[in-house]
Amino acid sequence: MSRARKVMLLGEIGVGKSSLARRLVFDKFSREYKPTIGVEVYRYDIPAAALGGPKSLVEPLSLILWDTDGNFGDAIFRHVYIKQAAAAVIVGDQSRPDTIDAMLRLARGFADVLPGRAIHFVLNKDDLADAAGGSDAEGRLTTPQIAGLGPIPFIKTSAMSGAMVEQAFIATAKAILRRGH
Amino acid sequence: MVAAGRFIASRNVYGLAWIGADLIVKDRYGSKADFISIGQPVSDSVIPFIGSEDEILDLQKNPDASIELPGVVIHGGNDSQERYNLSLFWSPQERCYLLLVARASLDAALEIELLRHVRARLMAEAEIKAKSDELACANRDLEDFAAIISHDLKAPMRALHYMTDDLEAALADNRLDDARTKLAWIRSQSRRMSSMLAALLDYSSIGRKSRALEPVDTKALVNSIASSLPLEDGFNIVVEGDWPEFETLKAPLDLVLRNLADNAIKHHDRPDGVVTMSARDTPDALVITVSDDGPGIAPEHHQAVFLPFRTLIAGDAAASAGIGMGLALVERTIQNMGGAIRLLPAPSGQRGATFEVIWPKTLTETPI
Repeated sequence: MSRARKVMLLGEIGVGKSSLARRLVFDKFSREYKPTIGVEVYRYDIPAAALGGPKSLVEPLSLILWDTDGNFGDAIFRHVYIKQAAAAVIVGDQSRPDTIDAMLRLARGFADVLPGRAIHFVLNKDDLADAAGGSDAEGRLTTPQIAGLGPIPFIKTSAMSGAMVEQAFIATAKAILRRGH
Repeated sequence: MVAAGRFIASRNVYGLAWIGADLIVKDRYGSKADFISIGQPVSDSVIPFIGSEDEILDLQKNPDASIELPGVVIHGGNDSQERYNLSLFWSPQERCYLLLVARASLDAALEIELLRHVRARLMAEAEIKAKSDELACANRDLEDFAAIISHDLKAPMRALHYMTDDLEAALADNRLDDARTKLAWIRSQSRRMSSMLAALLDYSSIGRKSRALEPVDTKALVNSIASSLPLEDGFNIVVEGDWPEFETLKAPLDLVLRNLADNAIKHHDRPDGVVTMSARDTPDALVITVSDDGPGIAPEHHQAVFLPFRTLIAGDAAASAGIGMGLALVERTIQNMGGAIRLLPAPSGQRGATFEVIWPKTLTETPI
């Protein structure tokens, strides 16, 4: 068995956390919206070649994705689900400003309970960004509101088309390895 | 426990998996546990446990604790949509983990409550099984005890009977000196039988005595034993090695060390000799060796020396060699502590016998 690390998928309801996980693991997308209840756990194996880096790190890595119910909100940080997480992928919907606020809040909460762990922002539904007339989400994610956490990388994805989904999670995997968690 | 597991699993409500201390799945019951692969690490099939291995191992220190994962959908090799409530805990009686897998409804709180009830039932079953095992063990002891009494006390009883007939005949013939000799023999035999009975009672009570731990300075203990044993001139007891202070049962350790040293002196074939008592301190146990430069013990007798009432000395010398319970007491005491004793083979061409004792630092419940 390869190395494995637990990654939390956090974000408001309906931002596409499950769609991202299903696209990544099964390469599937469904337009039918089924809210996640509790947690769904996926395993995604990343081959060594995709991780690159120094030779010592060239070893396959499995991400165990914990796709959580968006209803948890900040309560997720007091839940048993969060234990032993090595990283968080915090997802927002570019077209919904409230979900961007939630991303900032969740990043702060995650860093408080598991300091030093990797955090990545994912701005999903990039395919809808033009239709929504653009947004200032990108700018808001780099504002002083999250000062103290350091720069948090973000990546734009589309679970529907699959664009940049794999890259987002490989970037998270690399960050986990860099941080040694 | 197995019966309880089958009962619950047969109703297709819960699945159950047994997981070894090494986190490898040993067995499973019920269709709800079908996705768990036997012979593989539990986290291979129950992927939510990946990364929680340390937390799972910690459960062994706290059997009242459990890892509860309610409402989890596990997307393994297939795109399953089955939702489970998982409950993992350590069963100290069976020395394995039990994983309860329940199909979760939306009412997760109710499911968790049901899991708790099932868990309580399983724990109760395990406790009953442990008590049954203990009882079976005690019954075996009783049988052994009865066998020893019937075998080893029967012969001297029969001899006493014959000797009283002889005594009667000597008195009838007015052979008073002969009668006195026979009376002395009868007294000696009855004393020996009393000693055997007392030793048997000691032997049977091991494990039922108090098991209160106390800090023991093993160096001071071994030195006091060495200085208290009666020695002929020219005989020496050498204490060497690393004898630490730690919490253990003092009286049983005293019994073991005293008997081993006493045995080495008693069975020596020369008026001069050396008995060496040494110890090596390891994280889990104190490794003690007691060796002598006496005649040694032939390999074919290595097992027999630990049997009750077995002495390898024949003839007149047997009377002064004791009743043959010392090493039986020693072995039983050590086993009761969860430790072990063995007689090491003598190096080729060398005299003497060496007993090695593994005296655990942590007391485990091993009723014998």
